Amino acid sequence: MEDMYHADRAMSTQQDIKIKADKVQVYYADNHAIKDVDVEIADKTVTAFIGPSGCGKSTFLRCLNRMNDTIDICRVEGDITIDGEDIYDPKVDPVQLRAKVGMVFQKPNPFPKSIYDNVAYGPKIHGLARNKAELDEIVEKSLRKAALWNEAKDRLTAPGTGLSGGQQQRLCIARAIATAPEVLLMDEPCSALDPIATAQVEELIDELRQSYSVVIVTHSMQQAARVSQKTAFFHLGNLVEYDDTDKIFTNPEDSRTESYISGRIG
Amino acid sequence: MKTSLLAADARTKKRNAAEARFKAYGFAAIIVAMLALLILLTSVLGNGMSSFRQTYIALDVALPEEKLDKSGVRDLSVMSKVTTIGYAPILRNALLDALAAQGIETELSDKDIGNMISKEAAATVRNKVLANPDLVGQTVSFDVLASGRIDGYFKGRVTMESAALDGNTSPEALMIAQALADAGVIETKFNWNFFVWPDASDQRPEAAGLGVAILGSLYMMIVVLVLALPIGVASSIYLEEFAPKNRWTDLIEVNISNLAAVPSIVYGILGLAIFINFMEFNQSSPLVGGLVLTLMTLPTIIISTRAALKSVPPSIRDAALGVGASKMQSVFHHVLPLAAPGILTGTIIGLAQALGETAPLLLIGMVAFVREYPAAYTPDAGLFGEASTALPVQVFNWTQRSDPAFVERASGAIITLLVFLLIMNAVAIYLRRRFERRW
Repeated sequence: MEDMYHADRAMSTQQDIKIKADKVQVYYADNHAIKDVDVEIADKTVTAFIGPSGCGKSTFLRCLNRMNDTIDICRVEGDITIDGEDIYDPKVDPVQLRAKVGMVFQKPNPFPKSIYDNVAYGPKIHGLARNKAELDEIVEKSLRKAALWNEAKDRLTAPGTGLSGGQQQRLCIARAIATAPEVLLMDEPCSALDPIATAQVEELIDELRQSYSVVIVTHSMQQAARVSQKTAFFHLGNLVEYDDTDKIFTNPEDSRTESYISGRIG
Repeated sequence: MKTSLLAADARTKKRNAAEARFKAYGFAAIIVAMLALLILLTSVLGNGMSSFRQTYIALDVALPEEKLDKSGVRDLSVMSKVTTIGYAPILRNALLDALAAQGIETELSDKDIGNMISKEAAATVRNKVLANPDLVGQTVSFDVLASGRIDGYFKGRVTMESAALDGNTSPEALMIAQALADAGVIETKFNWNFFVWPDASDQRPEAAGLGVAILGSLYMMIVVLVLALPIGVASSIYLEEFAPKNRWTDLIEVNISNLAAVPSIVYGILGLAIFINFMEFNQSSPLVGGLVLTLMTLPTIIISTRAALKSVPPSIRDAALGVGASKMQSVFHHVLPLAAPGILTGTIIGLAQALGETAPLLLIGMVAFVREYPAAYTPDAGLFGEASTALPVQVFNWTQRSDPAFVERASGAIITLLVFLLIMNAVAIYLRRRFERRW
């Protein structure tokens, strides 16, 4: 892990910009939850959002695939673009957006269906497979990528809810990548997992970086340091500092960042 | 001061005593409830079980051609001119023959002996003869109904003492009946006809059955299920999953809860005004009854469906939306299947409630005396448009009759109704267990 973290630093600089946020404000009714957030998220990079509870990092993450739309009182202002396209444009269908921007949630939430159906659901509703053979292939590929194939291949018809917590989370990751997204959002994906399962998922995140732009919200600074190349520190709705991960953890510019990573605020 | 763990202090003792008292109250409440249930069941079963058995007289009836078919060529138009009044003496003679064959002597007049046979029997025999004219001229064995008093004697309702005071029967008649029973001519057996025959007039409780009432209740349940389930589930899904949460939806929600508490007779008045007076559907018809019960059941179904939808964890919705399912796909592919057991249970409980509802049906005229089996569809009356009655209304109806034999019938109808309700609730529990899924 240590080696990986050092090796990453060199390659984290020259990447294309995948997501660009400009002066993003989020309100829950009268509560101004996100204030003036500007951020550029690079392609094929793991970007970590850290910060104390209630700082708005999950809220901002959910803006990126418009999951906040489901909350009536939530209002988003400012521009968020993916590949230069404004995702809050009235012409954008959030359903199409979410197929492009996959999401993994804090608590593993497999559908109460078979493992196969869990993974196959997304491709089915998006028409990604023309026949059963293609669907089988997508399911196998996704499960392999999520490092779950070897454990699950003999029990594809068993219910997904019967897996262990770590396996369930990897199943959710497999489900998210089955729709061939370009961005993968992860909202504290390891907070409900034990250290071994966490290590497996972190390893997986690092592999997923080859194909996707991964944005991960985490409470664990060690995790941010281990898996990410870029780190953003949120505090009270503000994006305080955004830079290369090793810079944030070794030489932060803002005093609040320093206090947080050294455990004085949180 | 040091306290010992081995001795409870005053405060602990007081607390424990309070807890023990509370448990005792709860236990006492359960005992009272169970006793009430026990009394209810014994009273209903004690009164009603006998309605499932009926006393029959096995008679060899000679069907004389000169009385029943004056044409001599089995012309139905001529044969049907002979009414039940013409058949009664034939049955009476058959009974007298049976008495003579068994060597039973009596001082009773022939008329009193004829009264031991139900007035319904003549109609039954007449129908059989008209259905099969070849029987005329032969001697045919019939199991004919004994009169209500004779039936009551074998069920313990009528005694020698009560018969002595009764204008409709006499101790002698009962003694003859006992002698015939000893000879095997009179037999009390299981009474399928109770579930098949229609209602009967005051004079012939022995012939009264639940056929029309069961059919009417069945038709109404079909109407309720077909209308209330889709409307209720669709409106719940809209309110719960799609509607914006604002003042209007709050208002609707409050009003639906209030509707569930509206006395059922109010729905009856509403049904009378809208369905019968305004829309001019047939009164007493299962269609109107079903519509009224639909209105009454809708709030129950909506409330239970919304509760079932609410209990589906939001993480499932998030998961579906997260892989790019539309709102409707997330509801129909994931939320609804998980809520289905709750919805089914609510629906069946709503149906059970509707099945036992009486008051609104009285107002729309389903309390009428109906002898004809209602057809599901006729071109004149339309779908479920023929006059009918319903199980709970039949109970209400029979309890108002003077003959104590109808008390037995009413209790029998209550048992039937309870069995239907029990079956429905058992199905609800089974479905919930069967389809319940964990997440």
